[in-house]
Amino acid sequence: MDAFTRFTNQTQGRDRLFRATQYTCMLLRYLLEPKAGKEKVVMKLKKLESSVSTGRKWFRLGNVVHAVQATEQSIHATDLVPRLCLTLANLNRVIYFICDTILWVRSVGLASGINKEKWRTWAARHYYYSLLLSLGRDLYEISLQMERVAHSRAKREKSSPQDPLEYSVADEETEWLQSFLLLLFQALKQHPPLLLDTVKNFCDILNPLDQLGIYKSNPGIIGLGGLVSSIAGMITVAYPQMKLKTP
Amino acid sequence: MDAWVRFSAQSQARERLCRAAQYACSLLGHALQRHGASPELQKQIRQLEGHLSLGRKLLRLGNSADALESAKRAVHLSDVVLRFCITVSHLNRALYFACDNVLWAGKSGLAPRVDQEKWAQRSFRYYLFSLIMNLSRDAYEIRLLMEQESSACSRRLKGSGGGVPGGIETGGLGGPGTPGGGLPQLALKLRLRVLLLARVLRGHPPLLLDVVRNACDLFIPLDKLGLWRCGPGIVGLCGLVSSILSILTLICPWLRLKP
Repeated sequence: MDAFTRFTNQTQGRDRLFRATQYTCMLLRYLLEPKAGKEKVVMKLKKLESSVSTGRKWFRLGNVVHAVQATEQSIHATDLVPRLCLTLANLNRVIYFICDTILWVRSVGLASGINKEKWRTWAARHYYYSLLLSLGRDLYEISLQMERVAHSRAKREKSSPQDPLEYSVADEETEWLQSFLLLLFQALKQHPPLLLDTVKNFCDILNPLDQLGIYKSNPGIIGLGGLVSSIAGMITVAYPQMKLKTP
Repeated sequence: MDAWVRFSAQSQARERLCRAAQYACSLLGHALQRHGASPELQKQIRQLEGHLSLGRKLLRLGNSADALESAKRAVHLSDVVLRFCITVSHLNRALYFACDNVLWAGKSGLAPRVDQEKWAQRSFRYYLFSLIMNLSRDAYEIRLLMEQESSACSRRLKGSGGGVPGGIETGGLGGPGTPGGGLPQLALKLRLRVLLLARVLRGHPPLLLDVVRNACDLFIPLDKLGLWRCGPGIVGLCGLVSSILSILTLICPWLRLKP
């Protein structure tokens, strides 16, 4: 219970827990809706999802400052590609949080002249851009890791010479694909924070893709993606060493 | 900016900010009503207050576990009175949060058959008990400190050669004094006691903060349970003051009263 208390004392920990609940409700609703006789359960799930979603807005108020601080930090990254990607991603996050705050002002009734649809589309678009840029940075880091693994493997093979393998031209392509996948697997295995961050961004991007109409999926996939990314987020809060650091 | 990031990273800090905003809205609503503002503005403020209240209930969803943890820790204190007061206070807080969770389930539509009034009364009752325990603990600490302070004073006076007769010892009864001079002697004793109390509280800011906070908080359940109706203005003001003080203890951890 002590670990649970320490986890929920952090805003982000609690927020990820509620997010996981919200997307689990979405997933369960999608699975139970076609079944007969489950209308009451589906209604309760919908109410829980909407009240958790509304309540989570309180966790996001003031996150503009967080995003501005993250932008300032990412300007100092050493490598060019991560620096560019992260700075632009964080700038987009700043705009997303501003749109989100304006939507909150509208939802509590403080200002009724706000066009909800327009601001919602803007928020989704900038969230999408920030996730795209984060994924770009992840892919760059993965390619760097794969190069490193390939070099270390080449060095090991040079120091221990083997008989050259004989293979035909037809096997060459599958051989290439196999070695690429093996390299990818090894690179990610050696670098769990990178794997976690990639999975999180990839799962997160499904939601704005659906909202913007670029790739319409169903609530089940979005719910599953949201749940997986929330669990990945909870792992980075519970184990800070699993968070992807920018050197 | 860094200070805000660190502050808002604690979920309790955000909840306290929402509490301060909620009671500020309540106070503002009362002031607007008194000064005859437009009903639209009043409705907006009331709506915001309702949103804040519901949002806070969600933010507080895990707090029962936190209160139980604190109660578990308090069982190991050495002083018997402190151990009793703090443990019972945390247990009551855990029960208050549990009732609050039931209210949230009712308000958000998960358990529509929940009797909101009954559970709200229950939760305020537990809150009142926990505040009474906190104030008892504060009174005990004050009494200990006053005894320490007065004995230190008398030691200093004895050490500086020749005490003042009938002295500053407010802890004990007066000497076999003249029965005729009873009332002025009582007034003097009372005045000295008050001065000693002021001195003790001035020298221990965490204790002062805790006393003021608990005293302000006390008005809220007293009003809601109907024991002492003070009106929404006073409730709003007291709630706002106690929220600001608890935000202060979060920003400056040395101002928090340690058991």
